[in-house]
Amino acid sequence: MKEFRSLKLLDLVRGLIGRMGINYETMRKILQVKLTMDQRRVPTMFQANMTEDKQDDYQFLKSLGIYVLYGLILIPFLFMGDYFIQMSIFFGVTMFILMTTLVSDFSAVLLDVRDKTLLNTKPVNERTVNAAKIVHIIIYITQLTGAFLLIPSIVAIFSKGIFFMIVLFFVMTLLILLIVALTALIYIYILKFFSSEKLRDIINYVQIFMSIGIVVGYQIVIRVFEFTDFDVIYTFEWWHIFIPPVWFGGLFDLVLQNNQSGVAVPMSLLAVVVPLLAIALYYRLMPTFERNLQKLMEETGPNKKSRWDFTAFWAKLFCRSREEQLFFRFSSIMMKRERDFKLRVYPSLGLALVFPFIFHLNYISMESFASLRDSNMHLTIYFTAITIGPVVLMLRYSPNYKGSWMFLVSPLQQRSRIYSATLKAFLFQLFVPLYAVLCAVFVFIFSARIIPDLIVVFMAIVLLTLISYKLTNNDELPFSRPFESAKEAGSTVTLFLLMLITGAFALFHWLVSMLPYGVYGYMGVLSVITIVSWYVAFRPKKPLIEL
Amino acid sequence: MEAQKVLSLKALTMNFGVKQVLKGIDLDVYSGQIIGYIGPNGAGKSTTLKIMLGLLDGYRGTVEIFGQDIAKSGHDYKRRIGYVPENADIYDNLTATEFMVFSGELYGLAPQVAERKARELLNQFDMLSVSDARLSSFSKGMRQKVLIITSLIHDPDVIFLDEPLNGLDANSVMIIKDVLEQLAQRGKTIFYSSHIMDVVEKISNRIVLLVDGKIAADGTFEELREESKLGSLEAVFNEITGFNEHQETARRFVDIIMDGETYERV
Repeated sequence: MKEFRSLKLLDLVRGLIGRMGINYETMRKILQVKLTMDQRRVPTMFQANMTEDKQDDYQFLKSLGIYVLYGLILIPFLFMGDYFIQMSIFFGVTMFILMTTLVSDFSAVLLDVRDKTLLNTKPVNERTVNAAKIVHIIIYITQLTGAFLLIPSIVAIFSKGIFFMIVLFFVMTLLILLIVALTALIYIYILKFFSSEKLRDIINYVQIFMSIGIVVGYQIVIRVFEFTDFDVIYTFEWWHIFIPPVWFGGLFDLVLQNNQSGVAVPMSLLAVVVPLLAIALYYRLMPTFERNLQKLMEETGPNKKSRWDFTAFWAKLFCRSREEQLFFRFSSIMMKRERDFKLRVYPSLGLALVFPFIFHLNYISMESFASLRDSNMHLTIYFTAITIGPVVLMLRYSPNYKGSWMFLVSPLQQRSRIYSATLKAFLFQLFVPLYAVLCAVFVFIFSARIIPDLIVVFMAIVLLTLISYKLTNNDELPFSRPFESAKEAGSTVTLFLLMLITGAFALFHWLVSMLPYGVYGYMGVLSVITIVSWYVAFRPKKPLIEL
Repeated sequence: MEAQKVLSLKALTMNFGVKQVLKGIDLDVYSGQIIGYIGPNGAGKSTTLKIMLGLLDGYRGTVEIFGQDIAKSGHDYKRRIGYVPENADIYDNLTATEFMVFSGELYGLAPQVAERKARELLNQFDMLSVSDARLSSFSKGMRQKVLIITSLIHDPDVIFLDEPLNGLDANSVMIIKDVLEQLAQRGKTIFYSSHIMDVVEKISNRIVLLVDGKIAADGTFEELREESKLGSLEAVFNEITGFNEHQETARRFVDIIMDGETYERV
C-alpha cells in the first residue's frame, strides 16, 4: 500500500485529533486502506466511457483533470456585476458541482455499511471509525475543490489580488463543511422515512440527473452570457436568505467592498455560523445516522405490488409467440429497474432528447424562429438516433449476468427470438415514449408538415436498432455478460461506424425529401425493408444443441 | 407404484483440456429415489449435474433422461426438470413473484397459474409479505427459499439440488426435507448434491460417492456402513476418500496460530 500525501498533511494535526478521543494511528490505517480502494474505483462520470487500459492508479487523477476543466465555467462569473452577484453565482455553481459529485460518487462512502461488520467487530472505538469516515470524505472533497478552483484561482490572483484569494480560501473551507454536513443531514432525513431500496433509487436518479445536468447546464450557462448585461447590481429579496451561495456572496461584499450597510452583514453572519452549526449538528446526529444506516442492511418489510402497468398489453401487441412476450416483459423490467443499466443508458437518452434543440437554439440565434419553422432543421431529430447504438450494445450486460443460467436450464424453444423481444421492449418501452415527446414538440415548432418525415425517421430508427444489434451484439441472450467486459475490442470502432450510418440515413432522407413525394416513396420502401429484415434477422433457427 | 428408470448415465467421461474430470460413470436412477450425490471438492459432482442439465457439451458416453438420449432429443426434456444451483445468482432486481413467474413461464406454465402457485408457496414459508419486494433486499436464506420454490413450481419429475439448504434455518430445513421425502414417495426423483454429510445421511435413500471422477461407492447408507464398519457417513466418506490426517492437519493449524510473539495490542 502506498503512502498518501493527504495523510502526511493530516499528520500535522494529529495532536488535535488525538485530543478529541480518536485513536489517530487506527484512523490513519483505516484511511490508508480506504484511499487505496478509491484509487481502484472508477467515478460515475467515467463509467460510461471507460478506456480499455484500466490503469488503476490514474483513475482518480483523471477525474480531477476533468474538474480542472469544469473550473473554466467559473471564470466568466468573476467579471460579472458586483461582488455580491459574482460570488453568489460562483458559489452556486461550485455547490452544485460538489454536491452532485458527493452524492453520486461518495454516497458509497457515506452509506457504507460493509465497514460496520468489518471494523466494528474489531477492537476499534466507534468514534474513531466515524471520524475516519468524515475525514475521508473531506479529503476527497478538498481535492476536488482544489482541482475545480485551480484555474479560477489563478485568474483571481492576477485580477483581484492576494487578499481576495485568502478570503476565497477561508470561504471555501466553510463551504466544504456546509456541503458535507448538508449532504449527510439530507441522508439522515431520507433514511428516516424511506426504505433502503428507495434511497438507492434516489441516488441513482441523482447520478443520472448529474450526467445530464452538466452537459445541459453548460449549454445554458454559455447562452446566458450571450444575453446578459454585464453590469448588474444586486438587489435584495427576502427569500435570498434561504440560498446559501448568496450568504457567501454577502461575505465577499462585506470584506472586500467594505459594504457594511444593508444585507451584507446578516448574510456574512449566516455564511460563518450555519456551516459550523451544520457540522456540529452532524457530529451530534452521527450515532442516529449510524443507527439509521442499519436500515441498509435490513431486509425490506411488506411491499405493495406496483399498480397495473401496460407492459403485458404491449407484449401481446408486439410479440407473437408466448416466449417472445415473456422476454418482452422481462426485458422491460430489467431496463426499468437495473440501476447500473439506467446509469449508463438514461443519461444518453436524456441527452438525445435535448441535442436537437441545442441546434435549434444555435439556428435561432443566427436566423430567427420564423425561418427555423420553415427550415429543414427538423432533421436534427436524427441526433436522437445516435444513442441507439450505445444503448443496444448495453442490452447484453447486467450486473447479475450469472443469473442467465436459468435460460439455459429451461426448455426454450427459440433462443433466436429472445433478442427480438428485448429489442422490441427497448424500442417501445424506453424509446417510443421519448420519441413521442420529441415529436410533439417538433410538430409544435415545425407544424404538421413534418409528420411524414417523423414517421420515416421512426422506421429508420427501428432499422438502425436492428443494424446496431447485428453489428454490436449478435449474442443469443440479453443481460448475460458482465459490465466489466463492456469495452471489448472493436466496439468503439463499431459505435463510430453506427454514427456514420445514422448520418447516412439523415443525408439520404434529406436528399429524398427534395424530390416531389419522395418522402412518401421512401416511407414505403423503408417500411418494407425494415419489416423484412427484422423477420430475416430473427427467423427461427434450428434449436442449438452445442453451446 | 413401479419404479421406472428415469435417468441413465453410460460410460460418461468429460475432459477439460487435458484434464479428465469424469472417468467413466455408469449410473441408473429410478423414480422415487433420493440420491445423495457426494464427493470431495473437485470430484466432478457439478460437472455431472451440468451435463445432465444440458449446460455442458463435449462429453463422451450417453446420458439418457426419461429414456431419451439428451444429445439427440433436443431441449424438451428440460420441461420436466427442476434445478437449484449452488450459487444463488439471480436477476435480483426482479421481485420474488416476478422471478418465480418468469421461471415458471420459461417452463411453459401460464402466468396466472405460476403467480398463484408462487404466492401460495411463499405463504407456506411465511414470506407472503415480501412477495412483491425485490430479491436484492432478501437475505441469503430467503433467496434460497425462492430458488427452491422456483425449481419446483412447474412440478418437475426430476429435481437437481446443489447444496439446497445453504443458509436456511433449522425449521425451514425440516420443511424442505419432508417436502423432498414426500415428492419422492409420489414418484419424483431427486438428485441431491451436498457436503453436509449429516443431512445426506438422513435424507437420501441411496448414496453415490464420487471420488476423482469415478463412482467409489453406491448404495443405501446402511449398505455403506455395513461394508466399512463405521458409524457415520462422515466417517465412511473419510475412509473412502482416503483422508485420515485431519487431526494432524488441525494440530499444525493451531500451532501456527499460537506461534510467535503476540503483537502489541492497541
